[in-house]
Amino acid sequence: MNIYHNATAQWLAYGVFFVLLAVVPMFVDDSFLLNQFATYGVFGLLALSISLCWGFGGILNLGQGIPFGLGAYGMAMTMQMQSQDASNPIPPFMLNNSLDHLPWFWEPFRHTALGIILALVVPTLFCAIFGGLMFRARVSGPFFAIMTLAMLSAWYTLILDVQPYTNGANGITPPGALKFGDYAIDPYSPVAYWSVLALLAVATVGGRLMTRSRFGLVVQAVRGDAERVRFLGYNVAGYETTIYTIAGFIAAVAGCCWVALTQYVSPAQLDTTFSLSMVIWAGIGGRLSLIGAIIGAFLIQGAQSYLGDTFLNTWLLVLGGFFILVVRFLPKGLAGLLETILGRFPLPQRGNSNGNSAQRLYPQPGE
Amino acid sequence: MGFLEIKQLCKSFDTTPVINDFSIEIVELTLCCLVGPNGAGKTTTMDLITGRQKPTSGQILFCEDDITGLDEHVIARRGIGRKFQVPAVFRDLTVRQNLEVAYSRSTNPLKNIFRFSDPGFVQKLEQVVAQAGLSERLNVEAGILSHGETQWLEIGMVLMQDPRLLLLDEPVAGMTEAEIEKTVAIFKELKKTNTLVVVEHDMAFVREIADVVTVMHMGSLLAQGPISEIEANARVREVYLGEAEA
Ligand SMILES: Nc1ncnc2c1ncn2[C@@H]1O[C@H](COP(=O)(O)OP(=O)(O)O)[C@@H](O)[C@H]1O
Ligand SMILES: [Mg+2]
Repeated sequence: MNIYHNATAQWLAYGVFFVLLAVVPMFVDDSFLLNQFATYGVFGLLALSISLCWGFGGILNLGQGIPFGLGAYGMAMTMQMQSQDASNPIPPFMLNNSLDHLPWFWEPFRHTALGIILALVVPTLFCAIFGGLMFRARVSGPFFAIMTLAMLSAWYTLILDVQPYTNGANGITPPGALKFGDYAIDPYSPVAYWSVLALLAVATVGGRLMTRSRFGLVVQAVRGDAERVRFLGYNVAGYETTIYTIAGFIAAVAGCCWVALTQYVSPAQLDTTFSLSMVIWAGIGGRLSLIGAIIGAFLIQGAQSYLGDTFLNTWLLVLGGFFILVVRFLPKGLAGLLETILGRFPLPQRGNSNGNSAQRLYPQPGE
Repeated sequence: MGFLEIKQLCKSFDTTPVINDFSIEIVELTLCCLVGPNGAGKTTTMDLITGRQKPTSGQILFCEDDITGLDEHVIARRGIGRKFQVPAVFRDLTVRQNLEVAYSRSTNPLKNIFRFSDPGFVQKLEQVVAQAGLSERLNVEAGILSHGETQWLEIGMVLMQDPRLLLLDEPVAGMTEAEIEKTVAIFKELKKTNTLVVVEHDMAFVREIADVVTVMHMGSLLAQGPISEIEANARVREVYLGEAEA
């Protein structure tokens, strides 16, 4: 036990972390840079979702691009329809693909609220059904990881193939910012940044509370020995499906934010490389620590923005190599490194740590 | 009517029969020891009762309900708790967390997201921890427990479930004399309120605790009765003497 495992210190570190992030717009004048930082919030949401699913649930998920991509497409469709009107009822790319009427499944996206609800519900429902089928059949471990990867490729191909409805490889580029009534959220404004940050904070605190609940405890037990948990009276498939679906929902939220920030979606969001990156972020940052995973996403995406050009095609190779090193020598990632360092010091009465682990989150007696 | 009734149970893996036409009846509030040479099918019998394996044929009745082939968690909820031959605890959780998982009164995943404590848990925890002698070890990770402590933790987990029937597969394997003695005391206490089926090789231990001894051999019932009868039984001696004392 050291300061790293102290629940109060952890909450404090969460507070400090988000306050620091919240004041960023005060110091950044460049609105393009601020927009880029906001997209890091999206990556943070994705890393968080992987940390919950893989770190806590032990479910390696290489297909997190599915709920992310579906959410993103849903939001892109909503925003696209916001710029269509009576004189111009269908998106231009459909005309170019010689469609002369709006396909039925685009209809609901004419209503902003309904469109956003669908953008969240469809991916979540997909995860619940796919996860439910897999986990009930006791598909787990590497087999489940492969199934998610296969499913990701299937969605990628599908979206690419139905060009008239999705604009294929070109993707959808809504011409205007997301509007709620008359209010448009300028993706380059601090409001957009804070909105994403607020969602990230809510998801993180919610995720942390969840890992401390009875549900979170059972999920961690399932990670340790799923077979044993069954004999205690728990329906393991139900727990696995639930954590996988919650992670999927968070990824869908991230997808919506992504399009609101970039006004763009394409099958690249469902690319294997991107889904693998999410796992690498969480792995390097520390999959057992929610904030560790988020910081992992920031660090790696930040490094990619600034170093990626130098390495270009070898970037993924560099990342992969780094990932292998971390998995081999730092199985708990950078958060684990911090845990080790803080472990050198006996529990002091003051101060707090920047790092967090939700690893031993469950309340200890006397806490 | 029996508390647990096993009727003409058969189980084959591929084509190899492992349990052959095995029938027994367990009476409520007794302690039955299931003995037999290695490979006799004792663990497989427990697997069949708890739903880990599905029988090829036959029937298992618990409190007159047919539980044959139900899912593991359903059978567990009916009140059958199990300790595994190879102690199975959650190594990266603390002892307290292990016991908390085992206190499975609420099992719905969605409701459990919003549940942070269970009424009655602390009381039950105190009782079980005292019984299993784990009070000093509550906050350590289960992975660092000694072998004997791990065995007790798993027994403690079964107790947290408050099962009506406890199936314990080799609970004293690897324990020291002193630890075995303590376990004997625990079991004698449990017998007053619960029904137990204990698989054990240690004959001294069996003599100490058993009300009834059931001997299995090659997946079938060889003999059943009080320990004195069993020890005098010629066929049992033959099977056991044929083996090196297991
Ligand atoms: N899953 C399995 N697949 C094939 N054979 C098995 C399986 N489980 C057990 N057996 C076989 O069934 C027999 C009985 O095993 P077991 O029930 O573990 O015996 P015991 O617990 O009495 O020592 C052994 O011969 C074992 O090899
Ligand atoms: Mg055995």
